[in-house]
Amino acid sequence: MGNDIFEITVNSVKLIVVFLLMVQAVPILVWLERRGSAFIQNRFGPNRVGPLGLLQLLADAVKFITKEDFAPDKAIRKLFYAAPVFALIPATLAYAAIPMSLPFIVPAFEMFGSSWGPYKFLVQGYEIGVGIVFILGVSSLAAYTILMAGWGSGSKFSLLGALRASAQVISYELALGLSIVGVILLYGTFSLSDMILAQQGPLQFVAFGYTVTSAVSWIPNWGIFYQPVGFVLFFAAAFAESNRLPFDLAEGEAELVAGFHTEYGGFKMLMFFIGEYGHMMIASGLATTFFFGGYGIPGITPAELQQVILSWGFSEAAAGGLNSLIHFLSYNVKFAIFLWIFIQVRWTLPRFRYDQLMDLGWKTMLPWALANTVVTAIAIYVVTL
Amino acid sequence: MPLGGIIFLTIFIAIFGTFLIFLARAIGGQRKDNSAVKRDIYECGIPSQDKKESRISVKFYLTAILFILFDIEIIFMYPWALSFRDFIANGAGTPVLISMGIFVAIFVYGLWWEVKSRALEWD
Amino acid sequence: MTADAFLFWFLAITTIAGGITVVSVANPIYAALSLAFTMVSVAAVFVTLEAYFVAGVQLIVYAGAVMVLFVMVLMLFDLKHELEAFARGKVSGAIKLLTAGLLGGLLIGAIAYSPEGSKIAVGANQVAVAGDPTKNLGYRLFTQHIFAFEALGVLLLVIAVGAVALSRSKGGTHGQR
Repeated sequence: MGNDIFEITVNSVKLIVVFLLMVQAVPILVWLERRGSAFIQNRFGPNRVGPLGLLQLLADAVKFITKEDFAPDKAIRKLFYAAPVFALIPATLAYAAIPMSLPFIVPAFEMFGSSWGPYKFLVQGYEIGVGIVFILGVSSLAAYTILMAGWGSGSKFSLLGALRASAQVISYELALGLSIVGVILLYGTFSLSDMILAQQGPLQFVAFGYTVTSAVSWIPNWGIFYQPVGFVLFFAAAFAESNRLPFDLAEGEAELVAGFHTEYGGFKMLMFFIGEYGHMMIASGLATTFFFGGYGIPGITPAELQQVILSWGFSEAAAGGLNSLIHFLSYNVKFAIFLWIFIQVRWTLPRFRYDQLMDLGWKTMLPWALANTVVTAIAIYVVTL
Repeated sequence: MPLGGIIFLTIFIAIFGTFLIFLARAIGGQRKDNSAVKRDIYECGIPSQDKKESRISVKFYLTAILFILFDIEIIFMYPWALSFRDFIANGAGTPVLISMGIFVAIFVYGLWWEVKSRALEWD
Repeated sequence: MTADAFLFWFLAITTIAGGITVVSVANPIYAALSLAFTMVSVAAVFVTLEAYFVAGVQLIVYAGAVMVLFVMVLMLFDLKHELEAFARGKVSGAIKLLTAGLLGGLLIGAIAYSPEGSKIAVGANQVAVAGDPTKNLGYRLFTQHIFAFEALGVLLLVIAVGAVALSRSKGGTHGQR
């Protein structure tokens, strides 16, 4: 966590800020979902509380906190109360590993009588060398939330809903893990920052000894042009991982009441949804990192942008900070587009039946992901001969 | 790898979540009638029936076991994917491709057999 | 106390506490959840030994797949009558003491007689290049241990067949077709 007290403090504060960022993004997402879904369904969403209904979620949060909090008689209290708290952990741990912008260098400065040296500030919670393996590992712990909630409720409905939801989650983890192998073959690294660095600059690749560069210089070297099938598979599997429609059998109202969170009300329910939206954010963040260049801006590399900013007359450190800020905005734009796609798909497609869902996961997505991997490997082999 | 950061974040979230639940319990009121019906589990509005005999299907066990197996196979593809380009650069691309091809063929055969023997039907 | 030593002791205590909870708690689902927690703790110990990929695999496969299987299967049963932690009786007590003593003796012997060269340097000062141990793993897997790698694929196939056959046994819900 850093060597001296300055680094440790800054890192701790940064981790807390990333966690709070994830938690605070949920009200905005819920507002977006309610307004967006309303316009899709040709009605208004919440538009009374505050301008454009933006304070609706604040009112909802106050309502949730002031609701009575009780557990059913048959519930196992330890598991019942531990499950919502545990729902936050995998989502945050995985989200903190996604790089959100260019790291910038804080120069040496004087404070409290001693000089703190130059420090490289990473705009992410922490940087993991084996990024993608860690993220997959931590996301696979999300199955425990579902199982603890289902069993802890003490009800057969909840238990059955929990078993079905966890069976769905683990089936689609296979497709998720396999769709990324193509990306790893392409970039030869697990680390997310290295993948983003490899996607800078215009579209170019090395084939049969010739370097092929695209004539149109603003088409970037993004992963989507090399792995379109991988992107579709990854994004579809991510829908299933976060229990969003069309895969939301766990919450299907007509089938199992509300699945594993039937017996939850009030703030505990809100924490489950923070976890669900957290998984959505992880999926969006990973999709931008693998296939859309992360925080990169098409048409200009970070080094060129740094030169442009320096030519506007900023100092070195301030230029680095401004560069980082612009790239952060670029990341957020792509991130928001993917979140909107999640919301749009939810209100457009009907829900799958459970056996259709499992068939899709095992018999369609897994073979397609395997085929994608094999074709990518053969293509790389042939092209670098 | 920033293990200290990860452990700090986990403990922080656990404490924060517990604090939030205590806050909800403290602030939330309580209705006057704390009847047994309210605290019973939800079963579509009818009084809950305790069925003695309830056999949950064995499909869940099969799904989980097959998931473990295919997950291990996918995990083995990760180091291969990482070092594939290096192998090609060192001239050993062909044997590595063929050996992974055999592994994938075994994987595909397992998947095909499992689909043909209808092990995951009606899940 | 340096950060490394503090991390080691913290992880050691959580791992051992998780392990003791597994064997001493009465409810089998609590035991399975504690075992999952122990697996996550062991993954963290792997990270301190700089085996990052193995730590990730431990999380994905052991804590995320095998323990999920355990917990799921335990929830399928109704285990209200299994809630006794320790079996009583003289014979079972003697067997327990004997097994614990054997295991303790094996552990102490292994630690005491291990060769000096197997000390693992916990070098937090060295900046490990990301993925380098993993690339080494990839190299070794495809050069020295290629046969074991292929045999593993066949073994997994055998396990799949066995699991399906087991679930088709008489009286199960997947019975005769």
